[in-house]
Formats: sequence, C-alpha cells, structure tokens
Amino acid sequence: MIDLRGKVQHADTAFRWIALAAAATVLVVLGLIAFTMTDRSLPVLERMGLRFFTSSRWSAPEGEFGAAAFIFGTLYTATIAVVIAVPVSLGVALFITQAAPPWLKKPMVYMIDLLAVVPSVVFGLWGAFVLSQHFGLGRSFLTAGIILAIMIIPIITSLAREVIETTPNTDKEAALALGATRWEMIRAAVLPHSKGGIVGAVMLGLGRAMGETIAAALVIGSALGQISANPFKPGNSMPAVIANEWGEADELHKSALIALAVTLFVITIVVNLAATAIVQRSMRRSRGG
Amino acid sequence: MATHITTPWLIATMAALGLTTACGKKPEESKATGGSGGTTTTTPGGPVTLNASGATFQKAFQEVATEAFTKISSGTKINYSGGGSGKGRQDFADQVVDFACTDAPYKDADAAKVKGGEFFYIPNVLGAITVSYHADVDKLQLSAPTLAKIFQREIKKWNDPAIAADNPGAKLPATDIVVVHRSDGSGTTENFTKYLDLASAGAWKLKSGSTVEWSPDTQAGNGNGGVAQIVKSTAGAIGYVDLSDAKASGLPYAAIKNQNGKYVEPTAAATSAAGDGIEVKDNLIFSALDAKGDAAYPITAQSWCLIYAKQTDKTKGTALKAYFRYLVTDGQKLLPEIDFAPIPNSLQDKAVAQIDKVQVP
Amino acid sequence: MIATLPPGVPDLRARPSWRSKKSRLMTLLMAAAVVAVAIPLVAVLYSVIEHGAAIVFRAFPDFFTKEIPVVSRRAGPGMGPAILGTLLVTGTATLIAVPLGVLGAVFLHEYGGHGAFARVVRFMATVMTGVPSIVMGLFVYLTWTLHFGYSAFGGALALACLMLPVVIGSTEQMLRLVPAHMREAAYALGATKSRTILTVVLPAALPGIVSGSLLAVARAAGETAPLLFAVGAATAYNPHLFTEANTALSVQIFGNATSTAFVAAHDRAWGAALTLVMLTFLLTLTARVFTARFALKK
Repeated sequence: MIDLRGKVQHADTAFRWIALAAAATVLVVLGLIAFTMTDRSLPVLERMGLRFFTSSRWSAPEGEFGAAAFIFGTLYTATIAVVIAVPVSLGVALFITQAAPPWLKKPMVYMIDLLAVVPSVVFGLWGAFVLSQHFGLGRSFLTAGIILAIMIIPIITSLAREVIETTPNTDKEAALALGATRWEMIRAAVLPHSKGGIVGAVMLGLGRAMGETIAAALVIGSALGQISANPFKPGNSMPAVIANEWGEADELHKSALIALAVTLFVITIVVNLAATAIVQRSMRRSRGG
Repeated sequence: MATHITTPWLIATMAALGLTTACGKKPEESKATGGSGGTTTTTPGGPVTLNASGATFQKAFQEVATEAFTKISSGTKINYSGGGSGKGRQDFADQVVDFACTDAPYKDADAAKVKGGEFFYIPNVLGAITVSYHADVDKLQLSAPTLAKIFQREIKKWNDPAIAADNPGAKLPATDIVVVHRSDGSGTTENFTKYLDLASAGAWKLKSGSTVEWSPDTQAGNGNGGVAQIVKSTAGAIGYVDLSDAKASGLPYAAIKNQNGKYVEPTAAATSAAGDGIEVKDNLIFSALDAKGDAAYPITAQSWCLIYAKQTDKTKGTALKAYFRYLVTDGQKLLPEIDFAPIPNSLQDKAVAQIDKVQVP
Repeated sequence: MIATLPPGVPDLRARPSWRSKKSRLMTLLMAAAVVAVAIPLVAVLYSVIEHGAAIVFRAFPDFFTKEIPVVSRRAGPGMGPAILGTLLVTGTATLIAVPLGVLGAVFLHEYGGHGAFARVVRFMATVMTGVPSIVMGLFVYLTWTLHFGYSAFGGALALACLMLPVVIGSTEQMLRLVPAHMREAAYALGATKSRTILTVVLPAALPGIVSGSLLAVARAAGETAPLLFAVGAATAYNPHLFTEANTALSVQIFGNATSTAFVAAHDRAWGAALTLVMLTFLLTLTARVFTARFALKK
C-alpha cells in the first residue's frame, strides 16, 4: 500500500500556514499604518509639542498648528449625532422587536439596511444642496450632527436589535403574566437586560460619527478656531480639515494633517474598543444566564 | 448539504457582476461639442496619456485646451485632476505626474526636493479674482485697505464709513457683512491674501497662504463654486471668487482701486492690462498682482505649468512639448470664452523659447 | 366564568387606564421613531431621483456609456468611466479582501481558537474596523501612491483594507453557525482538517459568507475619502488596473458637486449619485435575499 499520509500531511500543514498568514495581514497592515503615520507626524509635533492639542490657532503661513478646535468639533458633532440618534434608534429597535406585526418586521429591517448602505457622499450631497440650502439650515455643527445622526442610526439600530432579541422569553412572559403593559414589560425585562449592549452599540455609533469625513466636510461650515457650545455656529472636524486642506499643503502643513489623522485614529480606536468590550460582556452575560 | 442549491446561484451572481464589468469596458467616442476644424494628426510616436494635477484655478483652461488639442492630435489623452497648486507641486516633485500646474512658485526649500532635476515654469494664463457680493449696492467700489478690514472682520456693516469713503454718494444698506472664504486650501486664497498683503499698506494682518487663519465668525465654501454658492444665497455676503464662477453664478462684483488710484472692474481687457505691466524674471516667474497701469485690474492672478528640462520618455516628452506649445500659442485663443486672459505677447515668445529648451531622448 | 364582585370591593383585575394609555403612547413614540427614520431615507432617495433621473434616463444608456465631458461646465451625459472605475476598484478590492478575509477567519475559528495569537488578531481586527476611511486613504497615499502614482490599484488597496476586518468578522460569525457534527462526521470518515474545511465547512457557510461580503462590497463602493488620495481624476475610460489615473462614481459626485458653480456639473453629480445608489441597493438586496433563502440560521 502506498503511504499517502506524508503528502496529505504536508498539504494540510500548508493550508494551516496559508490561513495563518492571511490572519496575520491584519497585524501587518495595522502596524504599517501606525508606523508610517506616526513617523510623518513627528515634524509638526516637534515644533508644536503639546500645544498641538491645546491651541486652537491654525495658521498655515505662520506654521502654527493647534488642533483643539477640530478635536472639539469632532467630539461635538458626534455628540449631537448620538443625542439625536439614540432615542430614534432605540425606538425603532424596540418597535421592530416588541411591537411590530410580523408582516412589518422584514420590510423594516430592509429599510434600515438600505439606509446603512446609502453612500456617505450622497448624504453629503443631499445635506449640502437640500438640507442646508433649500431648508436654510445653513452649515453648522447642528447640520453636520443631523446628517451624522442619519448615518449612524442603522448601526445602532441593528446592534440594539440583536441585543434586545437575546432577552429571555421567560423574563418577558413573566412580566406580562404579572399584568404589565407592553411598555412596562419592556422597562422591566428588556431594557435592564440589554442596557450594556445598547450602551456598546451607541458607542460604536459614536466612533463611526467621529470618523466620517465627506458628509461632514460638506455641511459643517469649515470655520477655524471655533470652540463654542452654540450648535448653530459653523465649525470644523478633524477629517473634514484633512480632506479640505491636503491639496494645497506644504510639508509642515501635511505633517500637521497627518498628526490630525493619528489623533482621530487614536480617539476612534479607544471609543470602539470600549464599545466592543461592553457589548461582548453584556452578550456573554445574557447567554450565560 | 446546500452546495447543489447555492452553486448555480453563486455562478449566476458572479456572471452578472462580470457581465456588467465587461459591458462597462466598451469605450465610446467622446461627444464632439463645439469644435475647431483643422487637420487631425495622430500623435507622433503613438497614443499616449499624460497625467497631471495642480491648480484648480486653471482647471477650466486645461479642460478646453485638452478637448481642442485632442482634436488636432488624436491619440493624446490628458488627465488633469486638479487638487490644488500645493498638490501639483508635490506630485511634480515626487514625479507622480507628467506635468503639474501651480499658481505660486516653489518655496526655495521645496524646490530643492524636486526629484527630476531642472524644470521650467511656463506661464500660460492670467485670471481675475473678483470680490463678489450680495448686497443692495449698485457698482460697489473697494480699496485694498477697506477690503483687508472687511475680511479681517474689523468692518462689520455695509454702511461703514470706510466703505462709504470708497463709494462717494452711494446709498449703503445697514446690513451685516457675512465674509465668505475657502474651506479648502487654495491658490486663489494665496493670491488674494498676497494682494492684500501687498496693497493694503499694513492693514492686512493674517499673512498670505493657501489657508489663513480666518476669524471663526466667517463662512467657508468648498472650491470657487462653493464660495459662489454661499455668496449667492446669503444676504450681505462678500467673498473672493474667480471670474468664471462669479459670472456663471450671476454674481455682481466690485471695482477695485488699483495702484494708480483708479477703480477698475475685472474685465478681460483689465486683466490683460495687468499683464502688460509685469516684470518677468529669467525663469519666467512674475506677479501680476497689484499691477501698475490705469486700466489694470489689481487682483489679477497668474498660473504656470511645470515641465522637466530633461524628459525621459520619448513619446511622453514629445507629446508634452507639443501640448505646452499649444497652451501658450493657439490655445491662448480659448481663454476669453472661459473668462480668463491670455499672457502678453512678449511673455508668449519667452515661454515658447523656454519650451524649446526641453530635451527629449 | 367571570364572577361579579360584591358592591364596594375594588376591581383589581382591570388595569388603571393611565398605564394602558402610557403603554400605547410609548408604542406610538416607537412608531414615530420608525417614521423618523423613513423620512430621511425617502427624502434622500426622492432628491436623488428628482435631480438625477432626468440626466440618467434622458438618452438611455448614454449616461452609462459616454465619457465624462472634459469641459465640466458643458452640459451632457457621461459617467461611463466613473462606473467602470467604481467596478474596477471595488471588484479588485473584493478579490483581495474576500479571500484574505475568509482564510483569516478560517484560521481564527478553526485553528486559532482561544490561543494568544488568535485573540490578538481578533482584537486587532476589531480595532481595524474602526479606522476612519480617511486614515486609510492617507496611509495608501504615503505607502503606495507616492511610489507608484495614481492608479485604480491604489484605490483598491485602500478599499481592501477597509473591507478586510468586516469580512473577517462576518465570516467568523458564519463559521460559528456550522454545526459541530458536520465537522465530526468528516473527521470520522478520515478527512484531514484542511479537507474538512474546504469541502464541508466552507460550503455550508458559503451563502452567509457571500452575503456578508456583498454588504462589505456595497459599503466600499460608496467610499470617497480614500479614493481621493489614490485614484486621480480621469475623464476617459481607463480599463488598466495598475497604470494611469482613474476615477470613480463617489469621487465624481464629490468633485462635481463642490468645486464648480455650473449647473451641468451638478446635474452629473446627481446622476452619478443615482447610479451609485442603484448599484449599492442592488448589492444589498441581493445579499439579504441570499441570506434569507440559503444561509444557515441561528
């Protein structure tokens, strides 16, 4: 008998190594991103030091680059977006899972999917021509926040829906058996169970809102140095500045823009990681008991 | 197992995607719009594509010139992707493009980093930057110091005494001024601010650059078109827009006081007049801003295209030289239609001489 | 049997009306939320169709086949090169990201398990899903475009980086749904691990993998920011992957809408938007139908 075990073994091991290499590309790409971009941000950080993060003066001809206003703008518009999106997303998720007649569920899920897939540039186009011009909302933190809210609602809704659906039926039925109305059942059984997952979903939406470039760039107003709590004022965000000023930037200016990108990267990663940890923990807990 | 059901569907989906890609590959002749007659020659050396980037200021010129040039030299494709003067200079220095156009020359430090060796500046267009506005004022007149103070938010109302001084006898409304500038980095911004630096006798404090530190209570638009859009839709707005986009948007623009004390509107004649009074250096660098001459429009900007002195590719080099020569000779006739002005004849001759110096293998 | 209560005793069986009313009010609010979500979707679609349909369908199929007018201020259809560009860039990105992602997920689920390496990779994949698209664009510019110039491939690289973690995540989810007994049956018959994966596990998870990938493709097709830095701005057809600048629908929308004041350019922007929306909707609906009909359910 010919012993084929050796050859087969080689093929099997080879496959394992190929799969491993594929998985490792994630590490390679991330490592490269971190390395190349940090390397190119060094010039401006050497020049500005910590002032890069604390100063809001951004004057390219003078080599003064302070990103505080853009960091503020990114966080502010993302917060506005979340404030608008969370009640709406929760409402939709609860409706789909608890209150909707069965024939309505699938079309609504499709609707959320379609909203998720509309390209951000089309939202930006609509926002710039229709929302800000036609309806006279102008370009401001608020307009940007509204567009971002529309864009993150699908993410929050889908994730919240997943978490809510893991609520044990026994809990829900117990509440109903005790005479609770639908809303009371939701408050008593669904929400406490899903709280963690919903928080995680919201933070993922926050992360996405912070990283959105094009839609924000078209409607945020592109003001420099604007740190104000007034949502009707024009502002700016880190990705919008990068997209807008890259074309004409000289070496130092480019370094500043890359430093902005790194800052944005770090902030969104922190938010995303915290969110994922919270979601995973709550899902694990719910499945366990 | 689901394999026997899914496989046909999978094949169908892939086939559909493949078909759409294949259908998309069918190239069609581009629609012939407008057009010069003239003999069509095929590009010597065969079909060639030239990639370029750079100043959006001259994008319109590049577009019409490309269209016209392709008719007389079929087989040459030119992709001018704009992206800004800074991008153009960077791409040219990194040799990522075949040529680039810029509204401002390299800074000395950056010029040293150009990888391809010696290169030439070939000027090819002059254009007016208008000060467009949206207010109930007929034939607005503005001087540079007033302009500087407006754009710095020191003057906030249309009936300010400084504006009244520039417009004796005119009735000015009491509305607020809304300043509009560029959100994206721009050679137009650079030239506009450079003009304010030169001509406002110290009133302008924000220095000059592709982006400057505008006050937070101003508005910003993306591209000339973006600024024009905002000015058009905001009462009391004032912004700097190139003549082409200002005219396309139907915006009124101001007459600006030039060095000789005359208030001049940005007409084609006035732009050319600005070109007549310039001092040109040997490498063809000059500035048309704040030009001398009674009829000169003071906010006239210039733009160059960059070409390497030693070309490495024969086909591309030949095509480049032919295109550049076209830009500064016959191509100049296309400028008035798109609201730009040709460079003065003396400068054209110098430009052609410079192009002739380019060596092709 | 409903007993009647003696007079004077409160009827505790009925709920106080305010609780029912409150519940109904909350249900109404939830329904209002659904409407609030439907409104922008309908509004955006309406605007896109209203402004884009004219130019797209006027001289059908000119809009899809003619070249983009070189002179942007002139009226006239033509987004053919952009459509080709989008398909080329997105298609190449898919060819890179899907095999890598599926193989990577296979490793994580079938071989890696809970080992340290697998955990690190999973963690990093999660990190990677959060990378803003503009950061990817800058990264590709610094590493690829600066050395090799503008090309469709640079854009494909950027999109592949964005798609990879999504494909890994959704594939791993699908692999988890493949019942253990299928694998065990294969092992019992003497199949090696790789053979089991290739002939039993993957085919079972395939519909889910396909629909997950289609969703990733749909998102990638709509990306603008990374392409701005990598692809360039051609107006003529460019079927070459590695050479010469190219263009894409998303980039065209952005450029035409923002930079010029000319109505003709805006028309084309809306037309491109309509085309892009139709493309992404088609991909998404296909993905959903696929999942509904063929995929393994939880």
